[in-house]
Amino acid sequence: MSRYASLAVLACALLVLTGIAQAQALSGTTTLSVTVPNEASISISDATSALDTSGGLFTNPFTGATNFNYKIRTLKTGGQGSITLEVTTDFSPANGPSVTTPPDPTDTLTYSCTLGGPGTKCADNTVASTGAATSVASFGTGAKSTTKNGNTGFVQWSLPNDPIYAAGDYSAVVTFTISAT
Amino acid sequence: MRCMLASMSSVSRHGCFRRVGAILLAAAVPPAGGGFGATGSVTQTVGAYVFPAARLSAPPSALLLRGADPFSSFQASFPVQYKVRTTPSGGGTITLQVTSDFAPAGGPAVASGALTYSCAGAAIGAPCPGVQTASTTMQTPVLRLPGSACTGGGSPCSVQDPNSVTLNFTLPDDPTYDAGSYSATLTFVISAT
Repeated sequence: MSRYASLAVLACALLVLTGIAQAQALSGTTTLSVTVPNEASISISDATSALDTSGGLFTNPFTGATNFNYKIRTLKTGGQGSITLEVTTDFSPANGPSVTTPPDPTDTLTYSCTLGGPGTKCADNTVASTGAATSVASFGTGAKSTTKNGNTGFVQWSLPNDPIYAAGDYSAVVTFTISAT
Repeated sequence: MRCMLASMSSVSRHGCFRRVGAILLAAAVPPAGGGFGATGSVTQTVGAYVFPAARLSAPPSALLLRGADPFSSFQASFPVQYKVRTTPSGGGTITLQVTSDFAPAGGPAVASGALTYSCAGAAIGAPCPGVQTASTTMQTPVLRLPGSACTGGGSPCSVQDPNSVTLNFTLPDDPTYDAGSYSATLTFVISAT
């Protein structure tokens, strides 16, 4: 076989091998990264929470509940979180119950808390305030919701039925705040 | 797939050179110092077999970013570039498989079906339909390539060179995930026949 023929055969062999290599599947990889942050959210299920008395001629307080759904995730190191509430608009109109200036010192709006998920609930009969946020729940390091839809909880309200209140409808606005670090 | 040679004459001066998958046989040239005053002819057939071929390029990394609202989904979008040549009776595919799930533990998991994606913008071929769920155990579709597809140079091939298909990934921000950073490895595979 001449030198030229040998080269031709070699070149063809290389070509065939190259062709085989080209026809093979090729691949590429991507590293997909995500940083899951500390975060929290809360939604109030009840647009209005009615406080009703069960009768008893001033002996039973007005009671009612506000339901909420919360999602929370705190950092695994040094993280913490909270749910608080504040009466951002006092009862109106006048001559009824008041959070800021109750007709009687015992006419306080109080609440207790129930949590269906993580967190430490508030103390029973916590006094609501118009001047400061008060605790509904607190969370420690590495806290997280137990379901993808978050967890539920509720605040149970209590307001004395003071006979000094003028008959009528009164409403106040309560703002819930959740935070996570 | 073979190298087509014809008429290996006794005065062989065949060359067989690769140039973009084609064989080019040069015309016969007398060897230096040979055949003074002699005349002759050599018949050669120039043949070419254009191989089906493909290659792709994916970005080395991509970051899933959360939306503005807490617990809104994480999203990432990036193109996978490819060059392809398929035979008239062939075709091809680009597929995706998560070859390494998110790590460390405590965060999202592809194995639980958390990572979904859609495909768009392919100049050649049909992007994956609808929303696909990425898998750690099987390849899922990204693009289906038809026969006689080729990249670059204009008709009958594509104008674009390389071609690309854009993938849009979505990962829910599940509040049960631990806070932290997580990474997974995606492997894209292209094939052509």
